[in-house]
Amino acid sequence: MARFAVRRLAAAVAVLFAVSVLVFVIFNVIPSADPARQLAGRSANPQLIASITEEWGFDEPLPQQYLTMMENILTGKVVSYETRENVDERIIEGIPATFSLCVGAAVIWMFFGILFGYLSAVRTGGLLDRALTVVAVTGISIPVFWLAAILLNYLTYEFEIFPSGGYVGLGEDPVEWANHLILPWVTLAIVYVGFYSRVLRSNMLDAMGEDYVRTARAKGLSERRVMTRHVLRNSLIPIVTLFGLDFGALLGGAIVVEGIFDINGVGQYAYESLINLELPPIMAITLFGAFFIVLFNALVDVAYAYLDPRVKLGESAQ
Amino acid sequence: MSAPLLSVSDLRVSFATEDGPVQAVDGVSFELAPGEVLAIVGESGSGKSVTAQTILGLTRSHNTEIEGSIRLGERELTGASEAQLREVRGERIAMVFQDPMTSFNPVYRIGDQLVEAIRAHRPKLTKVRARERAVELLGAAGLREPERQAGRYPHEFSGGMRQRAMIAMALALEPEILIADEPTTALDVTIQAQILELLRKLNRERGLATILITHDFGVVAELADRVLVMHEGKIVERGGLDDVFYATEDAYTRKLLGAVVRLDQVPPLRPARREEPLLEVTDLVKHFPVKRGILIDREVDRVRAVDGVSFSVARGETLGLVGESGSGKSTLSRAVLQLLKPSSGSVRFEGREIAGLSRRQMRPLRPEMQMIFQDPYASLNPRKRVGRIVGEPLRLQGRASGAELRRRAQELLERVGLSPEHYDRYPHEFSGGQRQRVGIARALALRPKLIVADEPVSALDVSIRAQILDLLADLQDEFGLTYVFVAHDIGVVRHVSDRIAVMHEGKIVEQGPADQVCERPTDAYTKTLLAAVPVPDPRESRARRRSSA
Repeated sequence: MARFAVRRLAAAVAVLFAVSVLVFVIFNVIPSADPARQLAGRSANPQLIASITEEWGFDEPLPQQYLTMMENILTGKVVSYETRENVDERIIEGIPATFSLCVGAAVIWMFFGILFGYLSAVRTGGLLDRALTVVAVTGISIPVFWLAAILLNYLTYEFEIFPSGGYVGLGEDPVEWANHLILPWVTLAIVYVGFYSRVLRSNMLDAMGEDYVRTARAKGLSERRVMTRHVLRNSLIPIVTLFGLDFGALLGGAIVVEGIFDINGVGQYAYESLINLELPPIMAITLFGAFFIVLFNALVDVAYAYLDPRVKLGESAQ
Repeated sequence: MSAPLLSVSDLRVSFATEDGPVQAVDGVSFELAPGEVLAIVGESGSGKSVTAQTILGLTRSHNTEIEGSIRLGERELTGASEAQLREVRGERIAMVFQDPMTSFNPVYRIGDQLVEAIRAHRPKLTKVRARERAVELLGAAGLREPERQAGRYPHEFSGGMRQRAMIAMALALEPEILIADEPTTALDVTIQAQILELLRKLNRERGLATILITHDFGVVAELADRVLVMHEGKIVERGGLDDVFYATEDAYTRKLLGAVVRLDQVPPLRPARREEPLLEVTDLVKHFPVKRGILIDREVDRVRAVDGVSFSVARGETLGLVGESGSGKSTLSRAVLQLLKPSSGSVRFEGREIAGLSRRQMRPLRPEMQMIFQDPYASLNPRKRVGRIVGEPLRLQGRASGAELRRRAQELLERVGLSPEHYDRYPHEFSGGQRQRVGIARALALRPKLIVADEPVSALDVSIRAQILDLLADLQDEFGLTYVFVAHDIGVVRHVSDRIAVMHEGKIVEQGPADQVCERPTDAYTKTLLAAVPVPDPRESRARRRSSA
């Protein structure tokens, strides 16, 4: 376990370093984003720009600029060029909203993904299976922005069942918190429900052909026990991998859904920063997102070793 | 004969497939008396396994049609509900499957899987009591330290241990009938002998009635009281053990018995061909390092897969390389062909050192040495036409192209007993034996001098096995081929080899002329191996059991 932790930590540092360098380099080859001009604002004159360039170190060699930027991000001193607000603080402010959105959506998609996948595998070829297949394929195919627009139009503006976007803190008012998040949760979860139920269904169909399932039946187990303890249990292992990767990626910001439902989270901030070509928040948010992907990758491996005793942590496969 | 425990009458099972219904079992009737061992023998596709699984209702599905009657005492099983069948499964009829590797669920501990079987029928039994019972059963099935074994996972068991655990699980509820479906097919001969001994003991001591499904007449001779021979879903021969072997009535059974390759039947002596060696292997070593470390891997141990092996093969000769799984024979054959880089030692081919040559340096030599693989299902690319597979070596080496390539590939197909029209078909359209012929044609394409055949017939039925061995012998005569024939079955190896080398734990423990190794073995392991081979001859196997008892 110690070996695994140390290795993963080393790999995480390497990945984050590579990601940050890549973003930094890409940003510096894009023309028309002179940070000094951004900082100077509307009343820019050449003297002001020159003095800002001098003061902020934009004339220094790129590696030096990179180091300064990284140091500022890691010590919480980095500020945005446009608004001069502290970037790390803005990200931290956005975390509750983004996490509320992602965790809620994840609960919904795992619950319905597994339920639908299980039901259609158990009733393969039946009416229920076909109906769920249609649901799943529809869910996968619907564009998120379209679905969000439709839901908002009918459920919010036409029938006024749900509030129109915004985010209420869980601590302030739990009921309003949930009420505001239901539409975003459903919108975000629906693609994953379709996708996960299809993957689980095909995993389960594969597992049903396994010899150990035949053994389980020959022991005289009930059909439900065979399905849950032997077929479903073994089919969930790859689902865990998928979930870890998807969930980790989502925590870096669900840009579209946050944008449409006006949830002031990390994704919304990422969107603004991209529009304004602001390097400091883009760097910080990218690192933030990459951190979660790396973290959840490691958690997936731990979960894997727990779910499948044949897998040993940190041992390279022969 | 007392009242039968189980009687099957006019059983018919058909599966609906895309190409119409397939009649897997076609009017099978038999009875099983208390305490007897009934063997159902047949080749793959004969319907023997389907018959066995249908007894427990395991073949039921919406595209299966089952007719006829299966009576267990007073109970009719063909029309029984799932709930009624569940009371029979495990409780009154238990089953042991072929592949103990895949027949346990890999994610649960062995002990828990036994407990699950027990508690499915004894829900009132506490977990602690069920667990004690599981440990007791594992001990009775011959596992040492059963308490500890119960807490281990299937992948931590060897094949033999898993099959013992499978038998323990089958016996958990003291069933009246045990169905053993190819119980030893996936095991090494020495382990097979132990499992057969265990089954014999259970039958004798507990009077456990057993249905033994097998394709191996050696296993039948060791264990059965009565025999049914199945062919294309029908029973073609039935009778007492000796009657079936010595007073065979049916032509197909006679053919099947004749095709069995026997260890004690000496093939005609072939002229000695000791000329200059084609292949000389000296002190060949292949170690796999076991690495561990926090950040940087250090080698902490090594697996000595091949540990200092020397042998030579003369031109036109066949060297048989025998060993059980894990003996290092497959690693050795790959290291000889430089498909794996040897750790040390020398491999000389036609006098030239090839150990340590780079891939590029090996390429001109590759056409001279080819390989035939064990599994004709997995070693042919399912998306390529057979003609392309066979012609590929010619194309890669730039020997032929276009119409010329097609003509030569068709010639090769014809030479191995297929027809030129097979050129455009895909591997799945062929039977196992035909696929192995395709593998042979591919190996033959570049007119190699040396062919290493790694278990070329162990995945095939007995009748097909003999045909493939004959084909290999013909090709050897025609093209002056030299074979290294790798197999776990010393009977087959003796049949084809001039000389035999026996491998055990990475070393060659004995080598010499085939007759000498098989009849006057000097090494203790070779003796064990030879003694473990079941003889497809009931009288002899009884004599052998008496003398060893």
